Amino acid sequence: MSVTQEQVLKALAQVRDPDLDRDIVSLGFIKDLQIGDDEVSFSIQLTTPACPVRDQMKEQAAEAVRALPGVRRVNVTMTSQVRASVSQQAGSSLIPTIKNAIAIASGKGGVGKSTVSANLALALAATGAKVGIMDADVYGPSIPTILGTTEMPELTDEQRIIPVQRSGVAVVSMAFFMKPDEAVIWRGPMLHKTVQQFLGGVEWGQLDYLIVDLPPGTGDVQLSLCQSIPLAGAVIVSTPQDVALNVAQKAIVMFKKLNTPILGIIENMSEYVCPHCGAREEIFGSGGARQTAERLGIPFLGEIPLATAVRQTSDAGTPIVLSAPDSAAAKAFTTVAENLAAQVSIRAMQGEQVKVTF
Amino acid sequence: MADTQVPTPVEIGRANLFDIKVTWQDGHESIYPARHLRLNCPCAGCVDEVTGQRRMAAASVPEDVKPLGIQLVGRYAISIQWSDGHNTGIYAFEMLRKMCPCCRPQTSDNRPQ
Repeated sequence: MSVTQEQVLKALAQVRDPDLDRDIVSLGFIKDLQIGDDEVSFSIQLTTPACPVRDQMKEQAAEAVRALPGVRRVNVTMTSQVRASVSQQAGSSLIPTIKNAIAIASGKGGVGKSTVSANLALALAATGAKVGIMDADVYGPSIPTILGTTEMPELTDEQRIIPVQRSGVAVVSMAFFMKPDEAVIWRGPMLHKTVQQFLGGVEWGQLDYLIVDLPPGTGDVQLSLCQSIPLAGAVIVSTPQDVALNVAQKAIVMFKKLNTPILGIIENMSEYVCPHCGAREEIFGSGGARQTAERLGIPFLGEIPLATAVRQTSDAGTPIVLSAPDSAAAKAFTTVAENLAAQVSIRAMQGEQVKVTF
Repeated sequence: MADTQVPTPVEIGRANLFDIKVTWQDGHESIYPARHLRLNCPCAGCVDEVTGQRRMAAASVPEDVKPLGIQLVGRYAISIQWSDGHNTGIYAFEMLRKMCPCCRPQTSDNRPQ
């Protein structure tokens, strides 16, 4: 084949990553470019396996190269390497093997934060990312129930916690350490210790994303988390109701004070579609979260419909992204997970990291 | 990328054996004399959270106090380990920028502004 590497790269430079707003050659995505007699092959290394535009990018890249004179066949492989949001300065991090810790927050309880956290974690893991979930909702830890895990974590020889594995997600929860009829009635210092223990005292291993399910509101656990580690960012879950959104804004203000990027808002319990007659009902309103996101200038990650099946599958420990992946709700979770991964990638590329050279 | 309101450093390091240098995202450079930073420790043991009154006497801090280590606290602050053993202060970036000696005049008794 008479086509040259330069020609191929020039053709590929026409393909842009819409989220990172640069062409894929200058982004360094093109790897293993080989020009054989019969075929041009290369791989595109994305910044996340959950990239929402991976299929379009693959097709655009293949087309661009196929259009070159003399090219007969094009073979494109998609790979990914997740970039860490904050530099894990050696020796100083509680979680050196975790690339991106993402807090899932809400202003008030009852908006479905834990169901959203669990399904997002599973959706990210389903794309091939290495994911963990830390259930930091010490007052009402529901992640093990939602995920349907009944195992207890084991300890390493050094008394470090080994997370329980469920469908590709590593899980640690306060619920593992409590009986069902026990309550956590603690003050700040105990909560702080627990947060640190769930971060630094767990064998998380190499993770692309750690989803941290927070208690509702703006209290000790949120503060401890933001003090203990540099978060990639926070996601706010809200229902469409004005009341919920007003309270959600308080969580946003808190994270901004703590210099934690807001990765976006998710509108949960959005429109209800009757499975019998198809009638649509906006039980908690609709569109409010998108408007709030626009007004505050933060990304809107998507809407999750209000569906009985979401609640049923959470109660049953068979989360909807696993048990009914073709349902509207499961697809919505997948879309939100992709948008979230894109936002994390965007921040990681901006590389705002404070260097301590002391 | 300013979707947070907090002034953010790019680098925190030494100006010399005693003083700390912070280079900010907007290009500004702040140099904090060690004793001044130590005397303005914002921890609850050093300053009354309600009244803002200093709770520790300047005389209790050695003249040659210096920082031995600095860690990031989340994404919004640093903590400093001092040579006199004190280490509970969390110095938020916002507070540090407000305290920048070249930007604000210090009062003679080193009270926080």
